[in-house]
Amino acid sequence: MGSEMKSPLTVQGLCKEYPAFKLQDVSFSLVPGTITGFIGRNGAGKTTTINSVLSFVHPDAGEITFFGMPWEDHDREIKEKIGFVSAGMTYYTRKKLKAITAVTKTFYPAWDDEAYRQYMSAFGLDEEKTPAELSNGMKIKYALALALSHGAELLILDEPTSGLDPVSREELVEVFLKLRDEGKTVFFSTHITSDLEKCADRILFLQQGVLKADDDLDSFRNTWRIAECAGEIPETVRTAARGICRTRDGYTVLIRKEDAAGTETREASLEEIMIHLEKEAEKE
Amino acid sequence: MKMLMKEWKLCMHPTGYIMLLCTALILVPGYPYGVSCFYMGLAIYFICLTARENHDATYTLTLPVSRGDAVRARILFCAALEVIDLLLIALFILIKQLIGNMPNPAGLDAGVALVGEAMILFAIFNMIFFPLYYRDINKPGKAFGIAAVAVFLWIILEVVGTYTISFLRDILDQPDPQYMGDKMLFTLGGLALFLGGTALSIQRSAKKFEEVDLSL
Repeated sequence: MGSEMKSPLTVQGLCKEYPAFKLQDVSFSLVPGTITGFIGRNGAGKTTTINSVLSFVHPDAGEITFFGMPWEDHDREIKEKIGFVSAGMTYYTRKKLKAITAVTKTFYPAWDDEAYRQYMSAFGLDEEKTPAELSNGMKIKYALALALSHGAELLILDEPTSGLDPVSREELVEVFLKLRDEGKTVFFSTHITSDLEKCADRILFLQQGVLKADDDLDSFRNTWRIAECAGEIPETVRTAARGICRTRDGYTVLIRKEDAAGTETREASLEEIMIHLEKEAEKE
Repeated sequence: MKMLMKEWKLCMHPTGYIMLLCTALILVPGYPYGVSCFYMGLAIYFICLTARENHDATYTLTLPVSRGDAVRARILFCAALEVIDLLLIALFILIKQLIGNMPNPAGLDAGVALVGEAMILFAIFNMIFFPLYYRDINKPGKAFGIAAVAVFLWIILEVVGTYTISFLRDILDQPDPQYMGDKMLFTLGGLALFLGGTALSIQRSAKKFEEVDLSL
């Protein structure tokens, strides 16, 4: 396998324990040129995983490689090939974008001024503004412009669409799709699953620190069906249930596709799958 | 050098410049001049506080640099400010001696020994503040509080010592150029402590920062 085909990020057996939370044996591998959605409710361990991957925290166990290289001894090389964007984080809010850019570019030998200008223009960003003057969506776009201008091949985004209005979210989703078309690999965590329905190729589902699913989006969705029950839930459905939610007209029940024979069901959305599975996990 | 430029362009707090001007307090008669060094410590605290508010650690650690590089850059940048502070202290001592130096009842006179004393104060601050700060970069106030107490205790010792400790009272606190050999030795000792203490501070801080989990 040539180096260009190596997975941008491979995580094997990642464990991290805090007093009130445990990330357990998380393993996955990203496929180059795809968008991978990392879903799970707040507190599931998405940010802990990303922080471990980026060495902001020290994992208790596990191996992490970027483009086939371990972080140790290759951290600088790796950082030149990745970009990290977090929705909740805005750097140097009172500095002009051009000042932040001027400093940032000095660290990257592969910095491309022309690409930077193109991204700034495409994203409608004004260098004379400060991050404090940008909307949340524009802040994300600026962070992306920086990452893309230094030639990042893998973009790791932590809740990039959180707190954005639907139109801004849609715009970002379109940006992600465009980046995928350019061959970039996008890995983004979110609990807004509707964004992923529009763009993700693969889904990683994390629940209480355990990776419950690692599949392509369609396969993942096709694993599950939703039964809508107006009144009481029939016993056959209850037996097969992997999660039950109360609705205005009765209940929705998540069941595995192979258990759905003979029951009237419909397709399950990503959000419904996540919510039902979380409900079931709460019961356990 | 890139990291030092980054510190200056993105992390420098305006109080850094203002506190450099506080070295002019040496022109004030009857003032504990070591306090001007405390003001520089305050500026360093503001730099670290501003860094926290601007998520500087996350920004820096996503650059192709190591944690150790980040620590070295921050401490060397602050040490550079301290060196400028020392040069200004020396300048104002010179000005004061040219316009007529009065004995200072609140600690060392404005003379050569005061430069050595300032270097000792910076060494104490650097050795305490940075290793504590890099244990938890989200709590610079705690590190500053402890370092400030140590600096003030040393200043109090110096002020009291100019009345009670013979080496301070009879040699270091005498007008220049009296006892210049002893004062130069004291100042060179201060320089050694400043350089060694800052180097030690970098080493200990980098080790701490490598070990901690960052809650960003």
